[in-house]
Amino acid sequence: MSGPLKGIRGVVLTQAWAGSYCTELFAMAGADVVQLEVRKRPDSWRGTYTAPMSDSMNKISTARHAWNVNSNFNAVNLGKRSFTLDLSRDEGVDIFKSLIKHADFVAENFSPRVMGNLGFSYEELCEIKPDIILASLSAYGHDGPWCNVPGIGGTVEPTSGMSALLGYGDGVPINSGVMYPDAVAGLYGFSGLLTALHYRNRTGKGQFIDLSMQEANLANIGEAALEYTYTKHVPKAIGNRHKFFAPHGIFPCADSVKGGKKWIAIAAETDEQWETLCDISGMSWMNNSKFINNILRKENEEELNQEISFWSRRQDRDLLSTLLSSKGVIAAPVLDAKEVLDDHVLRSRGVIVELDHPEVGKKPQVGAPFHFSQDKISITRPSPLQGEHSFEIFSELLGMSRDEYEKLVSENISGEGPPK
Amino acid sequence: MVQSEKALDDLVILDLSNSIAAAWCTRLFADFGAKVIMIEPPSGNPLRYLYPEYPEGSNLLVDHLLANKKSLQLDIENTESRQLFLDLIAKCDVIVESSVPSQLEEYGLGFDDLHNSFPDLIVLSVTPYGRRNEYTFAPANSLSIAARSGWASINGFEEKGPLSTSINQSAYCSGVLAYGSTLAAIFSTRQKSGCGQYIDISEFEVMVSNFAPPALSSEYSGNIHKQKSMYETNLLAGPVPVQDGHFALTLSRAHFFRDAMMVLGLEDLAENLDLHETWYRMAHKDLWMGRVQDAMSKWTREELFDELALRRVVAGPVLKMDELVENVHLQQRGFWNRLQDDPLQALRPGAPFKLSETPWVLEHMAPDIGEHDEELAQMLLHSSTGIQSHRGEI
Repeated sequence: MSGPLKGIRGVVLTQAWAGSYCTELFAMAGADVVQLEVRKRPDSWRGTYTAPMSDSMNKISTARHAWNVNSNFNAVNLGKRSFTLDLSRDEGVDIFKSLIKHADFVAENFSPRVMGNLGFSYEELCEIKPDIILASLSAYGHDGPWCNVPGIGGTVEPTSGMSALLGYGDGVPINSGVMYPDAVAGLYGFSGLLTALHYRNRTGKGQFIDLSMQEANLANIGEAALEYTYTKHVPKAIGNRHKFFAPHGIFPCADSVKGGKKWIAIAAETDEQWETLCDISGMSWMNNSKFINNILRKENEEELNQEISFWSRRQDRDLLSTLLSSKGVIAAPVLDAKEVLDDHVLRSRGVIVELDHPEVGKKPQVGAPFHFSQDKISITRPSPLQGEHSFEIFSELLGMSRDEYEKLVSENISGEGPPK
Repeated sequence: MVQSEKALDDLVILDLSNSIAAAWCTRLFADFGAKVIMIEPPSGNPLRYLYPEYPEGSNLLVDHLLANKKSLQLDIENTESRQLFLDLIAKCDVIVESSVPSQLEEYGLGFDDLHNSFPDLIVLSVTPYGRRNEYTFAPANSLSIAARSGWASINGFEEKGPLSTSINQSAYCSGVLAYGSTLAAIFSTRQKSGCGQYIDISEFEVMVSNFAPPALSSEYSGNIHKQKSMYETNLLAGPVPVQDGHFALTLSRAHFFRDAMMVLGLEDLAENLDLHETWYRMAHKDLWMGRVQDAMSKWTREELFDELALRRVVAGPVLKMDELVENVHLQQRGFWNRLQDDPLQALRPGAPFKLSETPWVLEHMAPDIGEHDEELAQMLLHSSTGIQSHRGEI
């Protein structure tokens, strides 16, 4: 792995999405991220030890364990190394503490009281390594009346105000197609840790980062929060529309040969873009007095959208998108997940990468979203098998011998899969 | 080692941003202590005109995105001002730009041009599609990014068509990633190489990165992750109706399921051990889903949340912005802030994360165009006459 953060090491207990994404960004930027997985209970994004293998994975001869071939886990742990320990055993705790001495930061996304219960509160970690940085990503932060309320993306989306702003304008709040607040929290966690690392490099002081998923997501819709406090009008979901501009929507296109609907996003934020759209359409919209300026287009948006849909329904999605974009109109095809993975620009820029996973085989997946001219990003390691690097890490950082490691495995303190 | 109460107060950022994404990035720098010098053309940052003004002349985007920053009016197109701009570059750590095509490159001040003279300079570019690719010059906004990144294909209901993410999400997500990426580059420059570099952040790619789980699940399963049907909306899809609004309840672990069933008075479901297995519960939703939603509909959000929270069941009410402003938890955490120099004394959203030693601080309203010309002249340049005289020529 290479990148600007080569030389930084995180010893992390992150899991599921928010925490795992936060630390994956570090790994993709070149840091050595060694991730602890508690032996008795796998990361929830690996599934459970008892879950059956999916039908699609059953067809892959190298797929051996359901917990190693879960797409959720494998999507957000690229570039990391995995080790397992039983933290309910003194030996496991001692090894973990020894690893902390080699860490620049620790990150976790448990409920706030968990780290203290494990004996790894920030104060306790500082006794092991005085300049350690600890990032804690929790649902509601470490103080306040909700601090012990558990949460995940699916419940923080409603409690952060996100769900109330996502919908078709009929007053029904919607959660995103997957738990979007986790991704948002992961991005802020990454940035919070780098803020603290910058400070540590200047001062020699570590610190504690308290990231509430609710607050990170509310900050990400801060524009709506400020709108409310200015106007006292509660912001509502408005579908694909824009508060000020029209047209601004997603419109149907001619269906694909294989069937299934195709859609295109089109928006005009300036009169010039509107006029270009009118020219390209060949329709008589420019002559319609209801559409002559943005204010009127916004007032008559329903009718405008019907007009555009009537026209777009006969257009080829990709040809139209390319044409509109080339002429300066905001437009893009609505791509599905497979089309995103096939996007040639993403592939040419190394954002979609082909990685060879030991159990799943070679698959395209989403890699790093940043590009550095000097510290080139190179993702060479797929998401780890559970415990894949336990011996490697213990040997490299703690000088452990193979016999000592095998003893840990025989005593169920480390190892792969469910304890024997 | 220095002593400091602000994490980034050793950094100077030259801010040429004219997009929400780049401006959010530099706002974060300012909130954590960096000196962010916004270079504004005589007409002002285009963000000042993107949204209409509210009553009392306030401008939401300006107040939100430009707060905590300094404003220097400087027309880089003017040759003499260009020298002043170079003087400023010599004193800054990072230049941030978001113009397409690159404003810096048009002036012959692209990264490659500057690198020889300023070898440790970092240039950050935040644009909708990134630099030097087929999409670079395509105009875009959060709607079109949601479409191309896959998000619109999974949000919402199949009967109602694709649904974008809400309120400029590609911009805010890209802003925060750009901020972190820049700090990563600063780490590399200061701690290792001594060499500056160019960072290319694309809003499209950030949203694709956020889309990694549904993308890979589609690849693994061979079934493309799609929107749900509005006729199958249920607890697994998100909030469901309760007496006074909507409420989300996740039943991803056995004890969540057992305890939630007890709260809802569905003891037989709580005691059904088969349903404690996650995969079995998901495979047999017909055994419990309808009854659970029916039982939930008899509760208010607050009552249900209080009961479930006591038992540490993962659940949450849908809160609107007025309720979030009044939310006791957020108030006690100090999330909402007021600015001393704000004539409206409006509540403003606060820190996205808290640092124990170096807090996020919101200190100043957005500046007027050129408000800090004199101050910056004295702090950064040899004398105040430089900037003042050039302003006179503009």
